Amino acid sequence: MTRRPTMTATGVEQSQAASLAAQGVSVRFGGLTAIGDVTLGLEREKILGLIGPNGAGKTTLVNCLTGFQRPTEGSILLGGQDTAGWSAERFRHQGVARTFQAGRLFKDLTVVENVEVTGTGMGLGRRQAHHLAMELLAWLGMADKADIVAGTLPYTDERRVGIARALFLGPAFLLLDEPAAGMADAECDELSQIVLDIPKTFTCGVLLIEHNMRMVMGTCDFIHVLDSGRTIAEGTPAEIQRNKKVLAAYLGGEGEKQLEMAEGHH
Amino acid sequence: MTDTAQRRFLRAALPVLALLLGVTAITALVALLGNDEMALTVTEALVRLIVVVGLSVFIGNSGVVSFGHIGFMCIAAYAAAWATCNPMWKQLMLTGLPVFLQQAQYPFWVAVAGGAVLAAAVALVFGAVILRLSGIAASIATFAFLAIVNNVYSNWDSVTAGVSSIIGIPTVVGPWTALAFALGAIVLAFWFKGSRFGLMLRATRDDPVASRASGVSIVRVRLAAFVLSAFIVGIGGTLYVQFLGVATVDMFYLQLTFITLAMLIIGGMGSVTGAIVGVFAVTVFVEFFRFLESGVPMGDLVLALPEGSQEIALGIGMALILIFRPKGLTGSRELKLPGLGSSRRAMAPALTTTEAAARS
Repeated sequence: MTRRPTMTATGVEQSQAASLAAQGVSVRFGGLTAIGDVTLGLEREKILGLIGPNGAGKTTLVNCLTGFQRPTEGSILLGGQDTAGWSAERFRHQGVARTFQAGRLFKDLTVVENVEVTGTGMGLGRRQAHHLAMELLAWLGMADKADIVAGTLPYTDERRVGIARALFLGPAFLLLDEPAAGMADAECDELSQIVLDIPKTFTCGVLLIEHNMRMVMGTCDFIHVLDSGRTIAEGTPAEIQRNKKVLAAYLGGEGEKQLEMAEGHH
Repeated sequence: MTDTAQRRFLRAALPVLALLLGVTAITALVALLGNDEMALTVTEALVRLIVVVGLSVFIGNSGVVSFGHIGFMCIAAYAAAWATCNPMWKQLMLTGLPVFLQQAQYPFWVAVAGGAVLAAAVALVFGAVILRLSGIAASIATFAFLAIVNNVYSNWDSVTAGVSSIIGIPTVVGPWTALAFALGAIVLAFWFKGSRFGLMLRATRDDPVASRASGVSIVRVRLAAFVLSAFIVGIGGTLYVQFLGVATVDMFYLQLTFITLAMLIIGGMGSVTGAIVGVFAVTVFVEFFRFLESGVPMGDLVLALPEGSQEIALGIGMALILIFRPKGLTGSRELKLPGLGSSRRAMAPALTTTEAAARS
């Protein structure tokens, strides 16, 4: 990979927060409990996996951790500070960045403009934002696609632009919502390498939601498992792979096969 | 990177320059070669161009349709009328005006600046309230604003002369003055679109949720565009009354709202080029039907379309555009000059095209 992208700019304060945590967080929509009493924490330079079947509440939890969803109960702490009442923009300004499951690129803007938006959103002028955006795209190996309109990009490139947008000026925490969905194995490995490089390069903490077990087991330091909105297990990849509760409740027969594959891969 | 800042600037500036030259050429042709009536038509078209370009600053970049901007035009136009109309008449008819307006007559520049600033100030207050609403709700609120302005100005007799006209405004605006302001409006619109606020606003248009995750405050960037577009539309209003010499409340209501929005939609909402093309296309279209309505002699017969067919034809035209070319005649793209394509793509053509082909 090329040289490390710039992480500071005059006038933009770097977040000093050492942790991002959900403390007893519950979210209820009417009578439905999307997540109930979940506690987890992210640390700098660590990758935390968040797994669970569809509808387990993973995205809802990410929405809480990034200011897009207010918890019904519990709190989100950034560097120990309560974030109650913060807008999603404020979370980004304070160093908490995310990507979206559906990509959500600005489809009529070019690739480099997509990344620039974060720079201008953080208060930079366009010239400087453009310069830093090009650095980031180069780091992700996409500099040659900078002037392509985002709406015409192939799927895998879309994900990388989403990541570039979130990585602008090196956030303190990066939350990736299913970045590998729909990718072929080779592309997945490439993405795994990027995810592995991020904590070291940007000294940031990563939360990874992913269904691809090979990627989760190969990248995460620690894994948190949700089912129907509740925490059913926490532990290292090795522990999670042996956790009967996880295997029974979440992975089932198909999952066991995947886990064996992943183990063989190590 | 061989793509220097200078080349980037040139690539952005040359199409704008071409558009400015195009508008100037059309104006010069009509004003120098046409008759007096054509000079009036082109002046009115240029004033509308200012208004439509002003509309596009907000609507084009934010994706939120505003039905209320003609209200800003009305506010600015009346301010200009108060400033420039004959003091004798004002003292007789507009008894509620403050003394500094009632007893003096201000020059053209003061009227233009005062009107536009007033419109922008109203937009700042009103926008701060309604732009918190989601897109469609905000659109409806802008329509309510138009109705409120119309109602207030129709009934505030001592200041606006009610539904009757304010007369005696010096008619100082001709094609060249209108052209100068139209060129200024175009430059301002391009500048805003390319500015950091313009970029953030276009991001909120494409995906509001993702724009917030990029640290963009949607209300703030929308409000900036709302105020600037009200300012530009306001300039159009001040010029319009100083072109016609009269101001009436009903000039600034549904009909003008409809025709300016039609121009923007027909040309292409998402681009400044679209706004310009839309104004000229609709003007030519309307003039053509006006000509048919007035009657075409064919030997002994005079064939004439019934009155009102102009409006119907415009409505049908807009419906057809919405069905077959929803992004307008320009496809909502800006003018691109041949030979000025992206230099970066030219550098690595083989790579990008083969890769894209392989993946699609």
